[in-house]
Amino acid sequence: MKLKLIYLLSIVTIAGVLLCGEPIPAHAAKIKVVTTLTDLADLTREVGGDLVEVHSLATGIEDTHGVPMKPSFVPIMNKADLLVLVGFDCEHAFLPALLEASKNPRILLGKPGYIDASIGIVPKDVPKSTDHYQGDVHPYGNPHYMLDPVLAKTAIGNIYKALVEFAPQHQAEFTRNRDAYLARLDAKIAEWKKDLLPIKGVKFVSYHEHWPYFAERFGLVYFGTIELKPGIDPTPRHIEELIASMKAEHVQIVLREPQFPEKVPSRIAEQTGATLVTLPIMPGGIPNTETYIKMMDAIVQTMVATVQARK
Amino acid sequence: MRTIIALVFVFVFSSCAFAQTVEERLQELEKTMKKQEQTIQELKTLQKTVKQQEQTISEQRRLIEILSAKVQKPQPPAAPPAATAVETASAEQVQQEVEELKEQVGSVAQAQKKQILSVFNPAIGLVGETVFSYSGKGSKATGSDRPGGWDVNQRSVELNLAATIDPFAKGYAVINASADPITGEATASVEEAALQTTSLPCNLELKAGRFFGEFGRLAYIHDHELPFVNRPLVLDQYIGGESRTDGAQLNWLLPTEHYYSLTVGVGDGFGSVPNDVGDFNNGNFRNFGGLSFFGRGSTSFDLTPDLSLEPGISGLANPNTLDRGGVLALPNNTPVTLPEFPGSTLALRERSLEGVDLTLSWKPLRNNQFNSIIWGTELLHSGNRYDVMPTPGGALFSPFSRDVDSYGMYSYIVYKWSREWSAGFLFDGLEDAANNANRTFAYSPFITWTISHWNQLRLQYTHTDHNTESGLRPDDAVYLQWDWIIGSHSHGWQQR
Repeated sequence: MKLKLIYLLSIVTIAGVLLCGEPIPAHAAKIKVVTTLTDLADLTREVGGDLVEVHSLATGIEDTHGVPMKPSFVPIMNKADLLVLVGFDCEHAFLPALLEASKNPRILLGKPGYIDASIGIVPKDVPKSTDHYQGDVHPYGNPHYMLDPVLAKTAIGNIYKALVEFAPQHQAEFTRNRDAYLARLDAKIAEWKKDLLPIKGVKFVSYHEHWPYFAERFGLVYFGTIELKPGIDPTPRHIEELIASMKAEHVQIVLREPQFPEKVPSRIAEQTGATLVTLPIMPGGIPNTETYIKMMDAIVQTMVATVQARK
Repeated sequence: MRTIIALVFVFVFSSCAFAQTVEERLQELEKTMKKQEQTIQELKTLQKTVKQQEQTISEQRRLIEILSAKVQKPQPPAAPPAATAVETASAEQVQQEVEELKEQVGSVAQAQKKQILSVFNPAIGLVGETVFSYSGKGSKATGSDRPGGWDVNQRSVELNLAATIDPFAKGYAVINASADPITGEATASVEEAALQTTSLPCNLELKAGRFFGEFGRLAYIHDHELPFVNRPLVLDQYIGGESRTDGAQLNWLLPTEHYYSLTVGVGDGFGSVPNDVGDFNNGNFRNFGGLSFFGRGSTSFDLTPDLSLEPGISGLANPNTLDRGGVLALPNNTPVTLPEFPGSTLALRERSLEGVDLTLSWKPLRNNQFNSIIWGTELLHSGNRYDVMPTPGGALFSPFSRDVDSYGMYSYIVYKWSREWSAGFLFDGLEDAANNANRTFAYSPFITWTISHWNQLRLQYTHTDHNTESGLRPDDAVYLQWDWIIGSHSHGWQQR
C-alpha cells in the first residue's frame, strides 16, 4: 500500500513536470503587472493603458503593513512579468514570504521585474537607530510618500521606465499615457495647493505615521500619532499626554485611517474638542476613492471642509 | 524499483532545467549582461559620489581649521566697546558652528565605516522561550519528560541566521539550545541548516540539508511559533516533536490559475524516530527503503474576501525503521510494553503516517491586525509494525511482529479581538502508536498577550484525562510561556 502510494506520487510528479510545458513568451498578450498597493495599481494602469493587466494585492481597505498572505495571490504573482512595490521596507510583513511562495524568479529583488517605486525619493524620518525600543520602525525611512502627489510623480517615472524597459516597442504609447496623466496630476496638484492654502498651519494627529509627506507638501502641521510607537498600541499614559498636548497646542483634527479601531481616536477627539475624520491612505480605502486622484480629492476636500466647519 | 524511480526523478528534473529553448536562454543572458553593465556603471557612479564626499569632508576639515584659527586670533586693541561685543558674539557663534560641523563630519565618517563593516552580515535574530509551569502530578504518573510540581523550562534559546548564497539559492540555520530535563544544562544543537533554491524553472523549489520537512500544518512550525504552549500530543507522539529530517524536499507550485502546492521529500529519519541505523562499522549497507519518504499536497479557497479555507493531505513512509540499539521507551524512560505480555519490550520496524489537515481563517481585510478567528484541525493515522520481544523475568513467548493502526487528532480555535489580545482552546485526542487501546484526551484553554511584535506572554491550562490503559494521568497543569525576539525577524510563509 505504501509502495503503491510512492509510485503514484512519483507518476503524478513526473507527469506534472513533463506537462510543465514551454515557458510563456515574455510579450504574449498584455503585460502582467502585480502591485502591492492600490495607488501603484492605479498609476500603472494610467501609464500602461490597454497594454497592461494589473492586479493589486491590497484592495484599499487594508493596513499597508497588514495585507494578508493569501495563497490565492501566489498563482497571480507566479505569472507576473513585473512586480511594483512601494519600497522603503513598507511591505516587509507580507511580500518576502509571497515572493518565496510564488516561485517567479523574474520578479525577485535585483531582477528586471522587481520595480521599487521609491527609487529617487529621499525618505523622511530615517531612524538613527532601528532598535526595537523605537517600535516597528522603518529602517529606511517613512514609506508613506505616496500621499504626497509630487513624490507620486517619481513613482510614476519609475513605473514608466520599467514598462519601457520591458516592452520598448510600446515606448511611444507609454510616453503618451504618462504625459497625459502627469498633465492631469499637475493640474490637480495646483488645485489642491490652492484649496489647502487657507488652512495652512492647521495641526492634526493620526493613528499611524502615514501623513508627514502630505503635511509638508501642503503646509499643514503633523502633530503626532495616537500609536505609542509604530506598530504599538497607545498606553493610557500616552493617550493622556497626547490629549494634554493637543489641548495646549489647539490641534484641530484627529485623523483616523479606516483600518484602525474608532474607539480611542473618538475619545481623543471628544476630550480635546478636535474633529474626528476618517480618511483613506490608499485608493479604495473608503467609498468613491477608486483612483489616486479621487482619493487625494477626498482627502483635501475633507480636510478643508472640516476646518471650515469649525470656524 | 526504488532506485529506478530515484534515477527517473533525477533525469526528469535535470532535463526540465534545460526545458527553455536556446534562443530564450541567449535572450536572458543578453538581458542579464546588460543589467550587469548597468550595475557596473552604477557602482562607478557610486564610487565617484564617495570620492566627491571624501573631497567635501576634506574641504570641511580645512574650513574648520581656518575658522578655528580665526577664533584663536587675539582681539584688535582700542576697538570701540560695541564693536568688541559684536565680534565676541560672532566668534562664539563661529566656535559653536565649528563644533557642530566637527560632530557632523565625525558622524558621517563613522556611518560610512559602519555600513562597510556590516554589509556582509547575514540577518541574525535570537528567540528566547521560557515556560513556567505547575503540574498536579509527578512525571512518573504523567509520562512527561519534565518534573511535576513547580518547573521552569528554558525550552528554547534559538539563534536564526539567514542570507542569500548567490543568485540561485539562499541559506539559513537555526541553532537551538534547550535545557536538559535532568541536568538543567543547555545543550546546543543544529535544529535546521539548509539551502533553498530561488530560481529553479517549472515552479520548483528544492530544499536540502537539515530542516523541518513539510508534513501537515503544524509539524514544521517551531515550538515558540505555535498558537499554544505545547505541541499537540498526536504530533509529539506520532512524529516525535518537530518534523526534523536530514534530506531533501522538492516543492512544486502547479502551473494553474488556482493554488495547488505539492511537496515530496526523502530523508534520514523524520522527527525523533531514526531510520535504519544498524552497525555501519561492520560494513552494513542501507537500502533505499531504509530512508524516510514524506509528502504533502495542499490548496486554498477564498470563500469570501475575509474567509479562506486551506485543506491539505500528508503522508510519511519509513519502510525500514530500527530504533537505535534499544527498545521503545516513554519520555520518562519507562519501557513501552504490551500489558497482555508483562515485561515485553517493543522495537519499531516499519512506520507510516497519513494525515489530513484543514484550516479555516476569518481575517477581515479592513482590520485583520485587530480581529481574526482561526480554526485548525488535523487528523492522523499511524500504521506501525513492531517486534515484540520477551525479557528475562517476564512472560515467556516467542518474539512476534505486531501491526498497530492508531488514530489521533487535534483541533484548536483562536479568537483575536485586539492587536494585543487573543484567546483559544485546544483539544487533543490520540491512541498510542504502539497500543491503540491506550487513549489520551487533553483540553487546553489559553490566552495570549502580544505585548509587541517581539514580546509575548501566554497563559494556558491543560487538563489531561486519566488513561485507563496505561494508568498514566489525569493531570492538571498551568503554563506561563514567555517568548521574545531580538534582532532580525521575518514573516515566513507558514505564519500566514
